[in-house]
Order: sequence, then structure tokens, then C-alpha cells
Amino acid sequence: MDRLIKKNWWKALGVLILLYVFVMGMLVPLKPGITQVTPSATRTNSQIVLDVQGYNTHFDEAKDTMRIWIKMDDEYILAATRITVKGPTQVEAAFEIPAYLPSDRRVQDFALVIDNHIDGAAVRPNALLVTQDSIDLAMGQTVWRSDRMENLHQLKGITFPFRNILGETIRNTYFHVSLWLAMMIIFTASMVYSIKYLRKQERRFDHWAAALTTVGLLLGGLGLLTGAIWAEYTWGKFWSWDIKQFTTLIALLIYFAYFVLRRSFPDEAQQARISAVYNIFAFVALIPLIYVLPRLTDSLHPGNGGNPAFGSEDLDSTMRMVFYPAVIGWTLLSCWIASLLYRTAVIEEHLWDEEPTHD
Amino acid sequence: MKVQNWILTALIFFFTLSSATAQSNSGDFMRSMGKMYVVVAVIVAVFMGIVLFLVFLDRRLTKIENQIKDHG
Repeated sequence: MDRLIKKNWWKALGVLILLYVFVMGMLVPLKPGITQVTPSATRTNSQIVLDVQGYNTHFDEAKDTMRIWIKMDDEYILAATRITVKGPTQVEAAFEIPAYLPSDRRVQDFALVIDNHIDGAAVRPNALLVTQDSIDLAMGQTVWRSDRMENLHQLKGITFPFRNILGETIRNTYFHVSLWLAMMIIFTASMVYSIKYLRKQERRFDHWAAALTTVGLLLGGLGLLTGAIWAEYTWGKFWSWDIKQFTTLIALLIYFAYFVLRRSFPDEAQQARISAVYNIFAFVALIPLIYVLPRLTDSLHPGNGGNPAFGSEDLDSTMRMVFYPAVIGWTLLSCWIASLLYRTAVIEEHLWDEEPTHD
Repeated sequence: MKVQNWILTALIFFFTLSSATAQSNSGDFMRSMGKMYVVVAVIVAVFMGIVLFLVFLDRRLTKIENQIKDHG
């Protein structure tokens, strides 16, 4: 490890990777999507005109190949009877809702699907709620027109997923989630050095543990801050005492106390030993706090409290191309900063001690 | 120091204003790629500034370490 800190290649690599992340993360466009459908509710046995708003769409250029459906499930789909394109991001679709639905629910939700040759296919789940006063499953299945949704166009080129409410902020995945993963790696390394110190009392292990904990705390603090900024515009508030926000704050406060603890021991050997034990405890507390507790109860945060995990469905292969390099980039940059802190501690020690740390 | 603060405040105010008008001029929901390149350039500039500072710190520490090695 200590031979490596004088080398520059991995530092430059971290910087280059992060530059790639910034450029790709910001410039790859979002997949065309549907931002709004009005009205969002109707009744059976009615003719309705839905006003649909798109994002990154080219409805006007694709007028001839526009197709719109409302979809209950793979079996029951209804095509629009008339489509009027109002602009690149605005289109009206007329539907004839039959008297009965092939469903035994009083209020049935439908997704809206749009397809054209330029934008490909886009779907908005739960776009339309249809209330039926008289439920007759058999009648509903009989009168359903059973349109087909076939030959959906494939969009060419790399795009990031479009999600309701998130919009462009999905890019924050590269700048918020990646910080947390990098922090986990850094805290793991810090714990390893604490364990090393307890086994063989070499000062440099203690310096490394302190340096890595400092950087880990920086990453965690930035993660909390970036999460709060993201939450302000998606959840409605910077801080909602959401379980994930709360337990993560506790975990970071435990790590912050590590430095307070260090200060309270004037004797260096004692300081190093006690802080090594505390560091291990802090890491052991980190796992249940950040990963276990938030999953046990209600939460706004993706992946916790019954929400679908952001990882499986939303982190598709295009996002992975930028996300994993981001984690590596932040980790390398953090190691660089930690190495600078470590070298400073070694120099400080040389200034104050008779026996300096040997690399 | 006071003068610098005022200049900085004025610059930030100016840029905020001009970017606000720029948004209302484009008018549509489509993201204009031209403006996005500007955002990327800004992010890269800020990041490279921080990186160059880290390089400077790195070099300074190396100098001190070499001094210690030579003179103890």
C-alpha cells in the first residue's frame, strides 16, 4: 500500500474515470417518455379524449406512425380511435370506453402506451382510472374490442430510462448512490487497518485508519447532502425524517464521534488502541443501520420499505455503464485524498516524535 | 477582501439572472443540447480545479518528505 501512494497512475486513472462519468452522465439523453395524461379518470360507456404530454418526444415529425393504446394487461388492450398531434410533445387520443370492463374491480387502472418510429415505445403506468358502476366480468370480456399492440418500434442509440417524477434527476444516481458505495469501500478499508493495528501496534496502521475514516465521513456527508437536495425536488422536502435518511445520519454521527474520541486521549498508544476498537464497532453498526433497518419499515427511499429497488428495474444496462465507473472513480479519488492525509500525519509525527513512523 | 466579496456576489447574481432568462427563451420542453455542453464544461472546470489543487498538495507533501529524508 505504501509504495503505491507515491505512484501517480491510479490517481490519474481516478480523475479520468470521473471525467468520463461527468460527461456521459450529463450528455446521454433520456428515453422519450410520457409526463402527463389528462384527464386521469373516466367512467365506462363513455368517449374520452386524453391530452398526453411527452418528454424528449417528436410527435409532430412522427405523425404518420403514431399509435396510442390504453392497456390493462397483456391480454386487454384498447387502441385510440383518433389521434391528433398538437406539437412535438403534445398529442390528443380519443378512446371509446365500452360499457363493461373485463375486470371485476370497481375502479380499474390502465397504462398508456405510445409508439412511433422516431421515439420508439413509451409507457406511463396508471395513466387512466376507469370506474365501472355495474361489474360484469363475462360481459366485459365479450364486448372488449381486443386490439393488438404489435411491432413496437425500437429506439436507436443509448438513452437513460425516463421515470415519472424523476425526469432528468435520474442522473443523480451517478452522483449520489455512487458516493455511498464508495464510502462503504473506504470504511471497510478503514476497519481493516483498525484490525491490523490491534494485531500489530504499528503507528502507520492507525494513521491510515484515521485518514480513511476522514474521507469516508466526507463521502457520507456529501451523500446525505446530495440525497437531501434530490429529495427536495422528488419527495417534496429536504428532510422528512425518512428512516433511511435518519439511520444514515446516525451512522455518520457514530463515525464523527470517532474523531471526538481520538481527541480525548493524550497518550498516543491509548488513542490508537481505543479508536481502533471504536472504528470496528462503528463499521459493525453501519451495516444494520444503513441496510437492514430501512427495509423493515415504511420508507420513501428506493429499495426500502416496500418500494421497488432502484437497482434491479431502473439501473438498466445503459446506466450501469456510467454507474460502476463512478463508484471506482470516487473510490480512487478518495484513496488519493486519504493518502495525502496519511502522509501529513507521518510528517506531523516526524516533527513531534523521537522515533518517526517507518514506511 | 470586502471588494472581492462584492464582485463575487455580483458575478453570481449576473449568472443566475442570465441563466433564468435563457431558460424562458428556449420555451419548449426539449433539452437543448447546446446548453447542456455548457453545463458539462462548468462541471469539468470545477472538478479539474479541485484535482489541480490535489496535485499541488501532493507535490508539496513530496517536497517536505524529501526534505526530511535528506536532512532528517
